[in-house]
Amino acid sequence: MDFLIQGLGLLLAPKVLLVICICSLYGLFVGSIPGLSATLAASLLIPFTFFMDPVPALVSIVTMSAMAIFAGDIPAALVRIPGTPSSAAYTHDSFALTQQGKGEMVLGVDVVFSAIGGLMGAVVLMTSAPMLAEVAMNFSSFEYFWLAALGLSATVMVSRGSQVKGALAMLLGLFLSTIGVDITLGYPRFTFGSVELLNGISFIPAMIGVFGISEVMRNVMQGEMKFAIARVQAGKIFQGTGKLFFKYKWNVLRSGLLGTFIGILPGAGADIAAWLAYAVSKRGSKEPELYGNGSIEAIIDSGTANNSCLAGDWVPALVFGIPGDSITAIVIGVLFMKGLRPGPMIFEQQPQIIYAVYLAFIVANLLMIPFGYLAVKTSSQMLRVPKNILIPGILMFAITGAFAINNSVFDIGVLGIMGIIGYFMEANGYPVAPIVLGLVLGPILEQNFMTSMIKSDWDLTLFFMRPISAILGTITVIIWLFPFLAAFLEKTKKSRAS
Amino acid sequence: MGKNDYVGGGLFVALGVFIWAMTFQFPGLEGGHPGPSLFPRVLGTLFIFFGALVVYEGWKTREGKEESLPGEEVPLNYFNPILVIILIAAFIALANKLGFIISGVAILFILMTKLRVSLLKRSIVSVALVCFVFLVFSKLLRVPLPIGLLGW
Repeated sequence: MDFLIQGLGLLLAPKVLLVICICSLYGLFVGSIPGLSATLAASLLIPFTFFMDPVPALVSIVTMSAMAIFAGDIPAALVRIPGTPSSAAYTHDSFALTQQGKGEMVLGVDVVFSAIGGLMGAVVLMTSAPMLAEVAMNFSSFEYFWLAALGLSATVMVSRGSQVKGALAMLLGLFLSTIGVDITLGYPRFTFGSVELLNGISFIPAMIGVFGISEVMRNVMQGEMKFAIARVQAGKIFQGTGKLFFKYKWNVLRSGLLGTFIGILPGAGADIAAWLAYAVSKRGSKEPELYGNGSIEAIIDSGTANNSCLAGDWVPALVFGIPGDSITAIVIGVLFMKGLRPGPMIFEQQPQIIYAVYLAFIVANLLMIPFGYLAVKTSSQMLRVPKNILIPGILMFAITGAFAINNSVFDIGVLGIMGIIGYFMEANGYPVAPIVLGLVLGPILEQNFMTSMIKSDWDLTLFFMRPISAILGTITVIIWLFPFLAAFLEKTKKSRAS
Repeated sequence: MGKNDYVGGGLFVALGVFIWAMTFQFPGLEGGHPGPSLFPRVLGTLFIFFGALVVYEGWKTREGKEESLPGEEVPLNYFNPILVIILIAAFIALANKLGFIISGVAILFILMTKLRVSLLKRSIVSVALVCFVFLVFSKLLRVPLPIGLLGW
């Protein structure tokens, strides 16, 4: 209880409240602009968090991401383009209902059920994270190695498009993490005599490059985007949402829990949660024919799931130091930057910070109601912000943000190179989020592997001797073998059929 | 993706071979155990394996044509992304000599010119935006941005 009060005290400091308000508006703005993702918003926010205390730094990411994921629903309803990938699952339904004159109701549902989903996720985070942290206290380098391997494998498994390309993107991130002085002998690897590379590739410029510069490059290629914005009377958007809540209360409970569970799985983010909740909702619905043509039930389910997923993503990040998605990969980077090592010890050593994060989720989701209303009221103005001015602005912030971390133009070079890599990889069907996860998890993976090998005198069987290590190892190996097993089973099925 | 997959997969295979070649220079641990070279070698092997798989996937789909719906194509400007990289490189080269403000205004002005923002608008926006970024980072966050010609 003391820690809760301390956490509340940290959260209610005027400076932190100001950060919450500014980041709410920032998240709402970026989320509601099609083509700009919540991950981009997080990566541009990091240079600012560098100069903040740990609590406002973490709270800023919590608030911004919650608002951005909700705000992605607005253009989905008004212009049929999802603001963030998390809203893609129910874009057709949202827009179809808007065209039927129910846009006001859709936007109200978006606000309210996003907030409810976020609150459900926060409750699960608050209850599950301390329990898992207790378990994680007994973990050694063997378990941490398998956790990192499991996180990376799950990321590849759920990555969009080809899993082989997802694996290559993840390997690239892991390779980039090997640049610099190695952990066993202090030998400089892949530095080519560069002093700047001795400390390795700086995580923040690399991340802004992969997410920010590549998005700038894609946007300038497309030229100016003008949207035909559907007209909605955003007067009484909350009218009727209470009735809908009671009608679909079990859907909300199911999707909230499903979304949080997806979030807890390493590597799976809000977009996957929304798609899965949509599929489950359709299967259990009495009106499946409405899905894709304007189903409010689909919007309630998916909208609840994607916001509840956000808090779930923080569970593996805080408890094990394994990111749940690309935003929590950024969070882990921020924690290290602040001298905090994510993992079970943070619950013992800095519990007030953890409680402040829990409370931030609750505050952010409660604030979503008034701020969301404000965003809906001003949505048509936000959608009219000219992209040919916005994109150069993002470029300027990206360059300055990359420079600000080490006060070095070398990092601007890293930004540019990573931007080119991100751009070409995305253009050729390679997902880029695994690069960042690989970059974050690479040192954890290598360090725990080498420590385990030296401890066990190079006996690989010890990776399967401890019970939890054996379970995690077995799950990871099954994930590795899954594509081959699936291909084999399909081949057998085909030969039987023919 | 057929042809692009040959190139992309081939590049990853080449990266794997390069990593392997580099690791022969790395020292080992006592007792003949691999040290700094172990992790990169595992990665190099996986790059070669998965890169070859991408080449194979590209070969399998070489006959397939990408589907495009009539009337949905947006004219793309392929020079603009290159311009973004040129401008970043120009900023790196010029920032320490000209300073943050002049370099920043220059790259924004050029990019907005290419994005067809009107002369008045791009002049005002580029100066105002760079001054805003300068104030936030230099004065508020105390980042020592390159000073250059203006002396502040």
